[in-house]
Amino acid sequence: MNIGFVIGVFGILILAHATYSTIQYRSYLKILEEEFSSPPFNVVVELILGLVLCLWAALAVPGKFLSIHPDSEENRIVSLPANLDFMIFNHRGRALPTDVNMKLKC
Amino acid sequence: MTSNTGSEFEKKSSDDILLPTMNAENLQANMRTIYYSRTFLSIIAGVIAGILGFTNLTGFVFYFLVMAITSLGLVAKAKFSVHAHFDSWNRVVLDGFLSGLMSFVLFWTFAYDLVHIF
Repeated sequence: MNIGFVIGVFGILILAHATYSTIQYRSYLKILEEEFSSPPFNVVVELILGLVLCLWAALAVPGKFLSIHPDSEENRIVSLPANLDFMIFNHRGRALPTDVNMKLKC
Repeated sequence: MTSNTGSEFEKKSSDDILLPTMNAENLQANMRTIYYSRTFLSIIAGVIAGILGFTNLTGFVFYFLVMAITSLGLVAKAKFSVHAHFDSWNRVVLDGFLSGLMSFVLFWTFAYDLVHIF
């Protein structure tokens, strides 16, 4: 997350520099008295680079996607009951038949 | 033990009625993530369109292009399993499109004025 943020700041700085060099190019054209047709090549390269870096930042910074399935690995609630200390299994119920469980399972 | 089997029974019955069950909080968090990504990228796309000096229809085509790339990136971020993270494709492809268009036009005109007019 942190490195994505740094990359985004870097991309915005590249875009600012591209803006500045385009402004300079326009004033240069004004001196030469020519018409503006398209920005110079290095500005286009800078813009593409800035777009790619900002795309990376925009995908990395806001956080990960979470699964919406209720029975997926990360949404499952795994917790033990709080009264484990008070559970006793060594009682007369051990002698009883365990048909109850079998019935519940099917 | 009994509580475990009870929850299994509940799940089975809900599957029988075909209720679409999902984690609404996680879906909302994913939607917020997509909204942030799209807003930021539409601002960046506006600045780039302004610097390149796009005028009328070309700028909107550029916006569509950038949003398509963004959708592709979001799908790749979801590891190409969209239905594990969203309930439909429209959430990834269309959500936040119009609000992004507003900020795109704002920053497009801003950058165009800054570079080409002043």
